[in-house]
Amino acid sequence: MLEHFHVPEKDRVMIHHQDLLKTTSDIFEAMGMPYEDAELAADALVTADRRGCETHGVSNMLRAYVQAFSKGNINPTPKWKITRETSAVATIDADKGHGLVICPRAMDIAIEKAKKVGIGAVTIHNSTHAGMMAYHAMRAMPHDMIGYAITGGGAVMVPTYGAEPRVGAVPHAWAVPANKMPPFVLDISSSSVAANKINLLRRTGAPLLPGLLADEDGTPLMEVGPVPDVTRLLPWGSTRDLGSHKGYGMAVIGQVFSGILSAGLFGISNPPGNGSQFVAAFSIDAFRDVADFKNSMDEFLTYLASTPPARGHDRVYYAGLPEHEETEIRDKDGIPLHREVVEWFDTTTDKLKLDRLGRT
Amino acid sequence: MLEHFHVAKEDEVRIMPDALRKTVNELFLKIGFSEQDAWQSTDVLLLSDTRGVDTHGVSNMMRRYISGVAEGFINPTPKWTITRETATTANVDCDRGLGIAVIPQVMKLAIEKARETGIGAITMGNGRHAGMIAYHAMMALPHDMIGYAITAGGQSMPPTFGAEPRLAPNPHAWAVPGDKEPPFVLDISSSSVAANKIELLRRMKSLTIPGIMAEADGTPIMDEREIPPDNIVLPNGATRELGSHKGYGLSAVAQIFAGILSDGAFGPYEGGHMSHFVAAYSIEAFTDVQRFKESMDDFMKYLRETPPAPGHDRVYYAGLPEHEESIDRHERGIPLHHEVVEWFDSATEEFNLTPLER
Repeated sequence: MLEHFHVPEKDRVMIHHQDLLKTTSDIFEAMGMPYEDAELAADALVTADRRGCETHGVSNMLRAYVQAFSKGNINPTPKWKITRETSAVATIDADKGHGLVICPRAMDIAIEKAKKVGIGAVTIHNSTHAGMMAYHAMRAMPHDMIGYAITGGGAVMVPTYGAEPRVGAVPHAWAVPANKMPPFVLDISSSSVAANKINLLRRTGAPLLPGLLADEDGTPLMEVGPVPDVTRLLPWGSTRDLGSHKGYGMAVIGQVFSGILSAGLFGISNPPGNGSQFVAAFSIDAFRDVADFKNSMDEFLTYLASTPPARGHDRVYYAGLPEHEETEIRDKDGIPLHREVVEWFDTTTDKLKLDRLGRT
Repeated sequence: MLEHFHVAKEDEVRIMPDALRKTVNELFLKIGFSEQDAWQSTDVLLLSDTRGVDTHGVSNMMRRYISGVAEGFINPTPKWTITRETATTANVDCDRGLGIAVIPQVMKLAIEKARETGIGAITMGNGRHAGMIAYHAMMALPHDMIGYAITAGGQSMPPTFGAEPRLAPNPHAWAVPGDKEPPFVLDISSSSVAANKIELLRRMKSLTIPGIMAEADGTPIMDEREIPPDNIVLPNGATRELGSHKGYGLSAVAQIFAGILSDGAFGPYEGGHMSHFVAAYSIEAFTDVQRFKESMDDFMKYLRETPPAPGHDRVYYAGLPEHEESIDRHERGIPLHHEVVEWFDSATEEFNLTPLER
């Protein structure tokens, strides 16, 4: 994540990930989720924080989830079911269950199918917010599989040339295991920035960069300035000349595999808070010898990371490498939360009569 | 395609698709392709030219294919083989066959697998140029399937923050059927522009567009200037702030599914070697086909009916402009640069064929 999206040092409280995991799981359980589900959801959420993907961690998301539970928008005890199935694919009605729980379970089904026939793919509807997509894709890696995950959305982003938001900033995530190198994990929204990075910008007071957002009427804002009150997300690429039709297109194809394929949901027809997802697992062994593949991955990733850097840069990365390094640091030093977020935890645990967030 | 990539009016010669098809097919036969492969290769090129994807049509590609065969780099009579297979997957050795001849045959196999299990996906190594990959993805459409195609290979694009090209603008293409609406067909390179659009720009004597290429040392060119002789295309997004890591990432994903998964190819792997990947997803396996297609119609209509932003008169979805262009070009012919038509004349003369009909 770019530096100016991080919590400023003066506002940081360092929290150990085990403490964060426990309190987050306690809160999910207090919302009515069974213990196993609460633990799974907490792991998904805290993994985002450990990897430095603050936008999809506890700070932005947990209070939104607590609110959604109390309004009845997330079902803590869903009876989700498979409504259609073949040897390689399935469609799931998630019964308004939490996306953080449904997606890993659906991925487990995809993995089982991939073990038997080579590939498994599951489309999901009637679900809710699914957190950081990389988490679900990464679940395939210990099984020597490539994972893929998408979550569809409503209408927050303008199509190329459009004046009105009609697609979500639909993210796609791929996770590919290597041998000794940290895995390749690409998790990209199809907008210039993830929607809730804008909230983060507002909270940290950082200025807006050119090409990240459009005016209310869809005109790309191409100058540095404060974040306006009403903005539209731009597709990745910002303008047609720079390839915004690619971000727009990725959003549409993501919506097709999640919302349209599962239940015909898109844009306005998709009620707020209603989530659709798609997960798939590709068994490496079904294509090539696993050890050979992983060694090739090591060579490829080493080749990329050893590219001589351009002027003004000291290193070249590949997707998943910075997040892997950040996880090592944060597992040791703790996760930097904004003190305002820690205060929210204390108020919430007090209200729910839970142990307070540990500060070990 | 953006207006400034098109052939200038004063330079264009309109050629009817059937005339172009006849000459291209004859040329493929002359360089040793089987009748089936010649037809197939011609069909891929013609679809690019009728859909307005000039970068991947006859103008840029035909002479390269002919010299590729002459130099022994492209095998005109490949015996492609399956080296590993499951119910949903396969790994294919393309035997140096031209992608536009081999990939459609492999896509048929993926479609068969999808009919049986719900999904078919095939990785291909030891291949050659794939042409416009939307073609391969679109093959799934008449079977009520979603098609997906990737081609990858070479190194012409630097990673984000990199000073040296280490991967290519590997494209991904998806094709999704609607009911009455023209299908959704997205075919996107992972660079700001397809590498051979820069060639096209140079031929048109256009200036650089800010954010589409870098200087030879990887520094993004963010102004308008003459196209420097040494340049590298940038990942889509141009800079890290605008999301160049997404273009870089999509390129790596393509290289993994096509190259690494088939035989480990990436970077400096036999110059011009290409790897491919195709997949077909049977809609029937997930949901009711008619329900799906009607939902697609509603979705695509919703998108193209978005009120346009100031300065624009219409909003499109991927595949719609190409569909409309195709109707127009079938009526009025394909606009070729006169220099390309001259090349055809010299080629047909060399091969003792009747010249391209005007």
